[in-house]
Amino acid sequence: MDFTLSEDQELLRDTARQLLARECPTTLLRAHIDDPTAADPLWRHLKDFAALGDGPLTDLCLFVEETGYVAAPGPFFPTAALFAPLLAALGSDLLPSVLSGEVTGTVAMAGGDGVWLPNDDTVKTFIPEADRVDQVAIVSAGPVVALVQSPPARRVQTVDFTRRQFEVEVPAGTGPGQPLDPEALETVLERATVALAAEMVGTARRLFDMTLAYAKERVQFDAPIGSFQAIQHKLADMALDLERATSAVSYAAMAIDAKDADRHRATHVAKAAAGAAVKRAAKDGIQIHGGIGYTWEHDLHLFIRRAYASEHWLGASDWHHDRLADLLI
Amino acid sequence: MQLAWGPEEEAFRAELVAFLDEHVPPEAAVGFDYADSGEREEGDLIPAWARAWQAMLFDNGWMIPAYPPELGGRNCTPVQTLIYLEEMARRRVPRSLHFPGYAIVAPSLLEFGSEQQRELVPAAIRGDTVWCIGMSEPNAGSDLAGLSTRAELQDDRFVVNGQKVWTSYAMAAQKCFCYVRTDPSAPKHKGISLLILDMDTPGIDIRPLRHISGAANFAEVFFTDVVVPSENLVGTLNDGWRITQGSLAHERAGLWVEGVSRLETTIHGLIDLATRRGLVDDPMVRRRLAELYERAASLRALGYKGFSSFAQGSSAPEHSFMKMATSELGKECWELGMELQGAYGAVVDPERGEEQGRWVTGFFMSFANTIAGGSSEIQRNIIAQRVLGLPRAT
Repeated sequence: MDFTLSEDQELLRDTARQLLARECPTTLLRAHIDDPTAADPLWRHLKDFAALGDGPLTDLCLFVEETGYVAAPGPFFPTAALFAPLLAALGSDLLPSVLSGEVTGTVAMAGGDGVWLPNDDTVKTFIPEADRVDQVAIVSAGPVVALVQSPPARRVQTVDFTRRQFEVEVPAGTGPGQPLDPEALETVLERATVALAAEMVGTARRLFDMTLAYAKERVQFDAPIGSFQAIQHKLADMALDLERATSAVSYAAMAIDAKDADRHRATHVAKAAAGAAVKRAAKDGIQIHGGIGYTWEHDLHLFIRRAYASEHWLGASDWHHDRLADLLI
Repeated sequence: MQLAWGPEEEAFRAELVAFLDEHVPPEAAVGFDYADSGEREEGDLIPAWARAWQAMLFDNGWMIPAYPPELGGRNCTPVQTLIYLEEMARRRVPRSLHFPGYAIVAPSLLEFGSEQQRELVPAAIRGDTVWCIGMSEPNAGSDLAGLSTRAELQDDRFVVNGQKVWTSYAMAAQKCFCYVRTDPSAPKHKGISLLILDMDTPGIDIRPLRHISGAANFAEVFFTDVVVPSENLVGTLNDGWRITQGSLAHERAGLWVEGVSRLETTIHGLIDLATRRGLVDDPMVRRRLAELYERAASLRALGYKGFSSFAQGSSAPEHSFMKMATSELGKECWELGMELQGAYGAVVDPERGEEQGRWVTGFFMSFANTIAGGSSEIQRNIIAQRVLGLPRAT
């Protein structure tokens, strides 16, 4: 039982941190609101890391925690955390070109109810970046998977500007698709869920860091507001939720990598714990910022938006609690 | 990053398990419930089986595994110590029913005591001497440094006057580790000294205090002109405050294991309770149970993460997080146990309530956990100031 990072993992995290601090400033997030091509230069850097999609989940999680910290837009998450693992499970010939970053992709599975379980609905929902990736893998009941190039995609506006969601009508004439072992599909989804939880932990950490820094510098009543107990206790509670979510994500990633029997429970724990952390960081973060945090100019809302959209994607906390209850009771 | 323990660690666990399988007394097998139930009476605060069990652990090197054999250990590594704590907690076997001697007095004397005082250590760990800690006072709770029990140095002796309160095990103790004010004119942290008192010294008056749960395992202790030889001063005069931080440093990073294991046991008890009450298919009940499990499981992961850093030489600030979070979550679990019983939630009548009133009694006992040993509010102050680097209030 060892939660410490290897030297290679520390290098990976530090590299990601430096790269993303440089290449994904909040000015890029704002430019991306009206022009999604603003994220293209970032992808030219991130494509070098697409191979993480087929490696240990612990490494992918370290990386996407950093993309979550900057709320990175673009095809990295759907390609590395959803599309690549699905191709790997299918044994697809396309995988090498995805891992090398030449081909981007996303996955369509949830039906009208937005739940990520295989179904026969002809409209698939909550498919990130479906209009700008090369391939969409459509998963239907069976489960079976069909790869489709550039199907017509309709934008579903969410509160989040940084991850663009779409719905796709399964094109008529799409073949029956390639069958996939249900357990293999379950693993693909569990990997993606834990990776999203890692990303959310990164977003929560960003909200927390911004808030902690503000509490130390903002002076009212002739003292930094961070010297007041009311503020200190809020920050302590935010830190606790953040720390336990960070640990739950690491544990779940290790459990999935080791194929440990606890991995199914650990996946639900990780996503729900990350949800609790990111929601608290968002709400208490804006409260501690006061009026300035409620302005369009301030960057805080960019991360609050990402926080809530992530909470509701790939199963909200309640959904994961309900699945967890089924495993426990 | 690695999930499993290695083969050497598992071999260590197997050796411990073999010892426990053979020697755990039947009373200790229900140890935590027994220790918590509030059923013990004053005269039976530390029953004979518990004394014999602690001595057996000591004699076999299983009392404080990181210590050398002469101090009841076997020179264990930090990882072995964690496995020990994990296995004892999983089986709910207590090592001792009185923690002050082995957990506070022993490490403090080893670090700060004179040669003569260090001779008291083996008996403190083996449990042959029962110790109490004279810390809290009526006007010095969370603000411990505000204590006012006075000790005046007169020639070669101290004369102690004052009062302690919440003194655990005072009725059973032979000795007291007593914090006293020796320089009233100095700033409050700088005028405190630590004395060793024999509890049978004339002038010490012990009055047992009952918990709200009905148990009496702590007391008020009054000191009237109590004479203490000056060689009973631990460390330097007026430098006692830094000894208040004393604890088993090498176990500090693993203390959370017991709290988390207890939570897990409680949550499984809640699932059984919900099943018996026919509420197990209620979606809201299921969701609440799962949420409690999620929080306990994430705390276990946080405990392991903190321990991993500690084992590699970093400090473990997780202790304050774990203390606050496990005690708060425990309270919620016990309260849910009452809610699941509807009109019967507050019933303690063994013939009518669930499990002899386990849930309401557990809830009442759990109030102490968010207060004693540094309240949740004090833990939040510590996190804010020492972990997050926020400024103190001016």
